[in-house]
Amino acid sequence: MSTKYSVIGKNVHRVDGTEKVTGTAKYTFDIVLPNMLYGKILRSPYANAKILSIDTSKAEKMDGVYAVVTAKDTIHKKQGIWRRFPELCDEEILCSERVRYIGDPVAAVAAIDEYVAEEALNLIDVEYEPLPAVFNQLDAIKEDAPQVHEGVELNINVTRHIEWGDVDEAFKHCDVIREDHFVCSSQAHMCMETHCAAASYSYDGKLTVWTSTQASYYTQVLLAGMLGMREGDIRVIKPPVGGGFGGKFELDSAQFCAALLSKKICRPVRIVLTREEEFTATKRRTPIVYTSRIGAKKDGTILAKEIRGITDGGAYTGMGATALYLTGFFSSFPYKYPNYRYDGYRAYTNTEPTSAMRGFGAPQAVFVGESQIDMLAADLGIDPIEIRRKNGMTPGYEVPGQAFIQSCGLHQCLDKIDEYIKQRGKLPPNHGIGVAAYGFMSGGIFNWFDTPYAFSSAIVRVSIDGKVDLFTGACDIGQGSDTTLSMICAEELGVKLSDISIHAADTGICPADLGAWGSRETLMNGNACKMAAADAKRQLIEFAAAKMGVNIVHDLDIKDCWIYLVDRPERKISYYDICKEAIRGKDGETIIGRGHYTPHRKGMISPAYSFGVQAVEVEVDPETGKMKLIDVTTAHESGTVINPVGITGQLEGAIMMAGGYALCEDQPMDQGKILNPSLADYKVIHSLDMPETNIIEVDTYEPEGPFGAKEAGEGLTNPTAGAIANAVRNAVGVTITDLPITPEKILRAIKAKKENEKKGK
Amino acid sequence: MIKDFEYFGPKTLKEAINLLDKYRDDYKIIAGGQSLLILMRQGLIAPENLIDIYGIKELDYIKSDGKKGLKIGSLTTHRTIEYSELMQGSYKVLSDMEHLLSTPQTRNRGTIGGNISHGDPAGDPAPVLMALGATLKLASIEGERTLTMEEFSIDYFETAMQHGEILVEIQLPAPPPRTGAAYTKFNIIASDMATLSVGSCVTLAADDTCTGIRIALGAAAPKPMRAKAAEAILKGKKITDALLKKAGQAASEEAEPVSDISASEEYRRELVKVLVARVTKEAMSRAKAG
Amino acid sequence: MLKELKLTVNGQPYELSIHPRALLVEVLRENLGLTGTKRGCNEGACGACTVIMNGKSVKSCSVLALSANGAEITTVEGLAKGAELHPLQKAFLDYGGYQCGFCTAGMLMSCKALLNMFPNPTKDQIRDGIDGNICRCTGYNSIIRAVEAVSRGDYKETK
Repeated sequence: MSTKYSVIGKNVHRVDGTEKVTGTAKYTFDIVLPNMLYGKILRSPYANAKILSIDTSKAEKMDGVYAVVTAKDTIHKKQGIWRRFPELCDEEILCSERVRYIGDPVAAVAAIDEYVAEEALNLIDVEYEPLPAVFNQLDAIKEDAPQVHEGVELNINVTRHIEWGDVDEAFKHCDVIREDHFVCSSQAHMCMETHCAAASYSYDGKLTVWTSTQASYYTQVLLAGMLGMREGDIRVIKPPVGGGFGGKFELDSAQFCAALLSKKICRPVRIVLTREEEFTATKRRTPIVYTSRIGAKKDGTILAKEIRGITDGGAYTGMGATALYLTGFFSSFPYKYPNYRYDGYRAYTNTEPTSAMRGFGAPQAVFVGESQIDMLAADLGIDPIEIRRKNGMTPGYEVPGQAFIQSCGLHQCLDKIDEYIKQRGKLPPNHGIGVAAYGFMSGGIFNWFDTPYAFSSAIVRVSIDGKVDLFTGACDIGQGSDTTLSMICAEELGVKLSDISIHAADTGICPADLGAWGSRETLMNGNACKMAAADAKRQLIEFAAAKMGVNIVHDLDIKDCWIYLVDRPERKISYYDICKEAIRGKDGETIIGRGHYTPHRKGMISPAYSFGVQAVEVEVDPETGKMKLIDVTTAHESGTVINPVGITGQLEGAIMMAGGYALCEDQPMDQGKILNPSLADYKVIHSLDMPETNIIEVDTYEPEGPFGAKEAGEGLTNPTAGAIANAVRNAVGVTITDLPITPEKILRAIKAKKENEKKGK
Repeated sequence: MIKDFEYFGPKTLKEAINLLDKYRDDYKIIAGGQSLLILMRQGLIAPENLIDIYGIKELDYIKSDGKKGLKIGSLTTHRTIEYSELMQGSYKVLSDMEHLLSTPQTRNRGTIGGNISHGDPAGDPAPVLMALGATLKLASIEGERTLTMEEFSIDYFETAMQHGEILVEIQLPAPPPRTGAAYTKFNIIASDMATLSVGSCVTLAADDTCTGIRIALGAAAPKPMRAKAAEAILKGKKITDALLKKAGQAASEEAEPVSDISASEEYRRELVKVLVARVTKEAMSRAKAG
Repeated sequence: MLKELKLTVNGQPYELSIHPRALLVEVLRENLGLTGTKRGCNEGACGACTVIMNGKSVKSCSVLALSANGAEITTVEGLAKGAELHPLQKAFLDYGGYQCGFCTAGMLMSCKALLNMFPNPTKDQIRDGIDGNICRCTGYNSIIRAVEAVSRGDYKETK
């Protein structure tokens, strides 16, 4: 941690802390507007069906019901996030002619309370013609599979190909080659606050929406498209959000139906999805089946990797195309593969759409890659840390034609974990430590949303009393961006954190930002805030220079609320005094600083990458297969640490989520129906199940990031599944290649191993 | 969403019994509500009349029966049992079991009577009570009757309680000297319902011969069940690891588990085999120690 | 059909008229406007609705409001004394015991109930004490550190 900074790197209270610990924070879930109605959504009970007719007349007549909407109340558009590729914008939300998964919305009702709204749904008669359906990707790509969307051959609507070198030639020169198959499961975001929106359409044609979102700008633009309204006539406000994790930056049924209902009758309507709807009718992590082939020389130098992934896309594309790409890209991390090939296929199925979830295809890729590299190390008789050292990325490495790695602390992380494992010494019986390494992006450079705006923007306003208002579109969904950005702004401007008031993610007053996903806020919006703060600072310094009468050779800066000569810091003047002077001096004009950031020429993927290595110790009961997580120690680097407590929190939270993905979170289905859509049956890690966690910070500096910072929080979900798989192998000698790694699977593998040993292999 | 109902909050057992008689055709009893409310909120149960017995203080007690046995009022909360000083000797298993049950909030509010009346074969108390040889006292306008835990458990979420009856007391017989009991539940997440559970109670003679044994399984059949074939292997013998293994095998064969999203039938049988041996061994050490 | 309900919340007695089907959490949030307590599920599994009722932590979504007739309830709004935050709230701020904050009200009430029962809890007792509260953001360990700090006496409560 650097002591040269006044604000960043310090342990602070989050700027939204007191309202959260006192229960005064008002989430969308809490919002009650005058004259507000409550909405409920009717959803398809069929996985695939034609809609023959919808009769809402009885519901409309019911006492307490004020509006009912179906597709006939819409302008019949399909939407999606990948606006540059209209064929991927395939979701109507309110279905007109076809439903494509159990849970697909068909109608919505606004009523005096939720009880009446729920009853009204029972009065809507929908006539369906059920059609044959398909429920997993391997069945979906068969010649005779039912079609999920018309005209999409083999149900494959997106393919991705990444290649460099000559993989086929390289395999010929390998001493050891192995090929393995992996099955990665789905996962639910399971945010504590379900999707919800309160929409208010006024008599003069303006729409205001309060919603639990990760990207208020996306909500605004997508709603405008779907309602046939001007973007500027829609204001989206993001109150405190009860978690997002990648599930809340697309337009969802709560937002669209609430807005549509409100528009119909000019009354506020709030829709809160139930936990069951949250599990079955939002979006989920992309399940992927992989075949991965890797080859190396005797000394452990990897020559080639060839990997194929087929994803279960679910009924609509959403952000699934990005997950398809990123899983192929991160399958090449964090090693220097001289020859590499990835082919990815995304298949539609009649199941809940699969899209983005924290890690975005990387947790799956790293489970595969890190399991396999350990197995390769075992084949070669090489230590697992050693093989990673031998092939690991280094600063300045270029992933051929794809990405340029500037800062990279992977090797230091490997050293730290190596040290930790050696210190741990001999383990008790049935214990094992497994290791996994990762590298993850700090936001993407792609603009398939097709925004004309800078990816991040910020405005800083300095008032007469030195108070600073920071306006940004960045969305704090619990990851702490409000605090991180306020800290960056305060550090740059040279004031205290308490001098900053952040106003974020209200499209009516804040500039656009692409939102909180892909780990972009710290780097991209941080840079925008830093630039805006620097702009305001420059304006203040102009006046200070004049007031202090300094020689042209001297530079001025601001720190700890003092404007001072950099090489004679004892000559200083109060920042608060200069604020008054500067405003007076500009004819009373408010001091406004502007900043923005869009990555230019940063390769194909991201401006910066964060790296880490995680060691997980498990204990396996060989008679039942039950696995206990004993300890998770992570060495990671994320450039300059802006908010230390925040990073610890992100890491520990990531372990809870990634550990759950590895061990117990799953969405088993029967004919497309999710069998565990409740928190009683969807298992997540509670406090008694959580292991001890240790963080080892490795110091790096990322030139592209604000004060050298880059992402922390999403990459940390990458390594845990792979590390656990490796730990189990080290504990009891079995390899599980399909997630989640359940006790039953472990026991079955142990028994199979014993059988094989008896037969003499 | 919960459908509305007529609400009654009797404060005495007599009041409650009269209400059960009056509304015999359509009522549900609610105690802590930790099981029932979930079903009502999902619309699976919608009674016309709800009789809230939680306020009947006279059913909240744990006391000696005067003969080294225990009587537990049906409205005693899990928490009370968890921390009761009366849970000594072979009754300590009740406190152990309650500590593993669900979460603190559920234990604070939920009652042991409410739990076993729900008839969930995966419920924690049932196999323990069965292993301890518990009897249950039911009361109605017609009078009282006493059933064993085995007689009380009929089927999946079905007990022997008739319309008009209320469970009032759980009776634990005095344990013979050198009796030990233990319980284990298998799950992946600690607060979860049992994927499989086993309660075992062992009585040893002075020479360590097993003179009494009861092994009960939870989540291994449509109702909590005794593993009688396993018991037969151990009774009258000096219990060795080899014998325990045989008993486990026998239990896994007599169990009737199902496959569901938590586990396959095959795996559940495997768990029965392993856990019956382990828990019975633990019960045996407790018997020797105490 | 409406029935009378009398209960005390955060020291304030209330008299209300409610449907029998109303859950305690609905009465707190909707009738009394105390929206600090949240709901995260429909099956009594997440703990976000935890309040303290007659001295014990309970899930207010799993208590019929009429069952709470005559009861004393404390919600998150009742933790601070005037403008002075409760030691647990201060510790949560210092240790980052929250991120999105949606589980926080229920979590704080479970922590308070735990400390009422065990003023000097072991780490295992703390883990057990909050086992009925799901947090999707923090991974629990920062919450445990916060509770340990309070039980250690790092935060003196002003009388």
